[in-house]
Amino acid sequence: MAEVVLKGIRKSFGAVDVIKGIDLTIRDGEFCVFVGPSGCGKSTLLRIIAGLETATGGTLHIDGREVSKAEPSERGITMVFQSYALYPHLTVRQNIGFGLSLAKVPKDEIARIVTATAATLQLEKLLDRKPKELSGGQRQRVAIGRSIVRNPKVFLFDEPLSNLDASLRSQMRIEITELHAKLATTMIYVTHDQVEAMTMADKIVVLNGGTIEQVGSPMELYNAPATPFVAGFIGSPKMNLYEGKLAQEMGCQTYGIRPEHVLLGAEGRWQGRVKHVEHLGADAIVHLDVEGLGSLVARTTGDTGLRPGGDVWASPQPGKEFRY
Amino acid sequence: MTRRQYWTGIIATVLALVIFVVPFVFIAFTAVKDKAQASHLDFTWPLQFLFWQNLVDVVSTRNYMLLLAYFNSSIITVGAVAMLILFGAMVGYVLQRRQSRWNKVIFGCVLAGLIIPPAVVPTIWVMQGLGLFKTIWGMVFIQVAYGLAFSVLLYRSFIATIPRDLDEAARIDGARPLQIFLRVILPLLKPVTVTLIVVQSIAIFNDFTNPLYYLPGKENVTVQLTLFNFQSQFSTQFNLLFMNILLVTIPPLIVFIFFNRQIVAGMTAGAVKG
Amino acid sequence: MQRSPYPYWFVLPAAVVFVTLFLVPTVASLWFSLTRWDLYTASFIGLDNFRQFFSEQNLTLGLGNTVIYAVLTSATKTVCGLLLAVLLTSGIWGQSFLRTVVFFPVLVSTIGVGITFTVLMHPTKGLFNVGLAAIGLHGPGWLTDASLALYSVALVDLWKGVGLATLIYIAGLAAISPDYYEAARIDGATRVQQFWRVTVPLVQPATVTVITLSLIGGLRSFDLIWAMTKGGPGFSSDVLASVIYKQYQAGFYGLSTAGNVILFALIATIILPLTWWFNRKEVDL
Ligand SMILES: Nc1ncnc2c1ncn2[C@@H]1O[C@H](COP(=O)(O)OP(=O)(O)O)[C@@H](O)[C@H]1O
Ligand SMILES: [Mg+2]
Repeated sequence: MAEVVLKGIRKSFGAVDVIKGIDLTIRDGEFCVFVGPSGCGKSTLLRIIAGLETATGGTLHIDGREVSKAEPSERGITMVFQSYALYPHLTVRQNIGFGLSLAKVPKDEIARIVTATAATLQLEKLLDRKPKELSGGQRQRVAIGRSIVRNPKVFLFDEPLSNLDASLRSQMRIEITELHAKLATTMIYVTHDQVEAMTMADKIVVLNGGTIEQVGSPMELYNAPATPFVAGFIGSPKMNLYEGKLAQEMGCQTYGIRPEHVLLGAEGRWQGRVKHVEHLGADAIVHLDVEGLGSLVARTTGDTGLRPGGDVWASPQPGKEFRY
Repeated sequence: MTRRQYWTGIIATVLALVIFVVPFVFIAFTAVKDKAQASHLDFTWPLQFLFWQNLVDVVSTRNYMLLLAYFNSSIITVGAVAMLILFGAMVGYVLQRRQSRWNKVIFGCVLAGLIIPPAVVPTIWVMQGLGLFKTIWGMVFIQVAYGLAFSVLLYRSFIATIPRDLDEAARIDGARPLQIFLRVILPLLKPVTVTLIVVQSIAIFNDFTNPLYYLPGKENVTVQLTLFNFQSQFSTQFNLLFMNILLVTIPPLIVFIFFNRQIVAGMTAGAVKG
Repeated sequence: MQRSPYPYWFVLPAAVVFVTLFLVPTVASLWFSLTRWDLYTASFIGLDNFRQFFSEQNLTLGLGNTVIYAVLTSATKTVCGLLLAVLLTSGIWGQSFLRTVVFFPVLVSTIGVGITFTVLMHPTKGLFNVGLAAIGLHGPGWLTDASLALYSVALVDLWKGVGLATLIYIAGLAAISPDYYEAARIDGATRVQQFWRVTVPLVQPATVTVITLSLIGGLRSFDLIWAMTKGGPGFSSDVLASVIYKQYQAGFYGLSTAGNVILFALIATIILPLTWWFNRKEVDL
């Protein structure tokens, strides 16, 4: 149970500034997701919190204690790695109990804790296997089990689902969310996938180029993206964004409209030609070529009669336009 | 298999038997002959098979010197290989995991160790100063000093294949540096460790030059030194001399039969990268 | 305070042994090679030891022999190793047996091999000359003829060491993608053309390794020569390493150490430019 407070955290590798001053408070029990494009510094920031990297500047408090210089094991955190990082030469039982045995916990006590943890994660039957004899999802659960037995104040996850296939990924998403609900521990979760961020987070931190673009709940970010970057990053399909002359004509630097807020009909603001239609079943994504605008993506109902080559009019839904 | 592959194979096998196998058969034959027949030095079928008698004669020569030699050689080999494994892995680990200007220094030392011939007399001078000259322990440390470069190189390239995540997971689990190394990294190095044990044991067991310089004296004899000295002792008893050769050939043969794969891996891995 | 999980004290045990028993003597040798020395007192005599090395005929002979021996063994091991490796990867009958047989001498005691071949090369009774006589040839005094002894030892060195070269080449050949050979065959290349145009250029990393290793080994080699000829007849098969040992035995420690320094310099002047040249060629590829 702990609050995590970052003040002015910076990190450079040699001459390259990777984290450029981060101020952030993650409240006790919150599920906080760091999201951003690959290379924006998410992992680095998480590893600074973990103590695997030392920040070049700034301070870090966990549960009210300054831990900027503490060893990872003394910070009350635990981490689930993208590769799971299970010890290949140890059984599941030994993997989960490794930290406890280092801490010289008595053997029968370790056995009791490991058994209990395995039960909550449905790993009882796998306890004597080696990691290479497990499936991806099972490895994931062992990695989580290893973290739980540390009884941490903060869980850190670095893209834990990116090595799983799509169906397993959505299942594990739910399992982790349920775990959070049950433990009510602070969790910090790194992903480049905005769907994961939207579905799991209490609070999303959008990172870009080593700085924070916006912090907020998923719906805040969706409804009121503070920057064009956030606007383009959150939401799928991506928001239509226009810059330069087009935007100036509409009285701004950048003009944006989400595909689901583009209305198609027999008349409207922009005349366009249908280039391509993606049928998703319930919905259809229509790609238009609009004169004077360029390409425009619209989301419409699945039973749309539009065909490539056909003409259609498009209008922005009032009140849903973004001007920056 | 084509006809061509078949016949090439037959011819190659015959040639290999003549070139590579005959000398070993010659050793075995001469080793079991009686003194008179052995002195002809010819490649003939033994008239008598005196295996046990020649064996006992060689072993009991000069007050069972050969037994002492095997004992000394074993101690030197086991002691040196144990240190080469532990020290080599520790250096290879730090060298691979940590990037700093010290790495260049360490790497320079490794290359120096591979290329520079040891300066013999100054080494004796240093060992005398430390009381290590003519001692088994001195010999062990010499073998460690000379074998380290190869161990470090082999370990370093293998450790590069072990993900750093494992070290970090162990750190988070509360492992101290030595615990990470001993409980996570070292067990994962087993394949190279086996290779190194085999390759270095053979090299150290077969070493002649270093014991010749650093381990003179009757009570310190090693297997290779004994063999060399028996060359003059047995100048008229070739059967016993070749029985001795047979005895020093058997340990590597046994190791080779059991660890063929590891030896091949070690020799080529160390070589192709080096 | 956070410390590195890879502390430098891990290097310490190895460093202590390596520095005291290897680096210190190596550095000290530079000084002692300039002295007359009996292990207790060393008196500075400038470059006299080196002068003696380059003026006394038996010592210069050792220097020349070292180069001849190293180049000869290295070249033959490289050529034979490559040919054997190609043969032993071509899927011939008895391939794995042949690999074993060729490699085994690498693991056998050099002294044992030396003694065995000394007997086999006996001028009248040895198997070499008995065999030659059987086909009507008069065999030479392999180890007794002063002009031949060094080459006879080099031949045994080849016998003992070619297995390692072969092994390295087999690993090198295994790393060449079969696609290249198929492409060459489609282009109509003969077996010989394939060897020169595909195998030789693409197996170059292994060649570099074999040449470098066998050159260093050849320049430093001592035990085989010592077991077979002790540098004789006369000084005809002496090499630097045996000269160093002889001077040591005779108590000329300064001179012996000068020999060490010369050997080091010789290895450096041969190996370093070679490595540099190989590295440059590799970039060109
Ligand atoms: N140890 C390092 N040394 C140098 N640069 C690094 C190191 N680790 C990460 N970087 C750089 O820092 C930037 C951010 O990396 P990272 O935090 O891993 O990004 P993300 O996890 O968001 O994809 C990248 O440009 C990466 O190249
Ligand atoms: Mg990352």
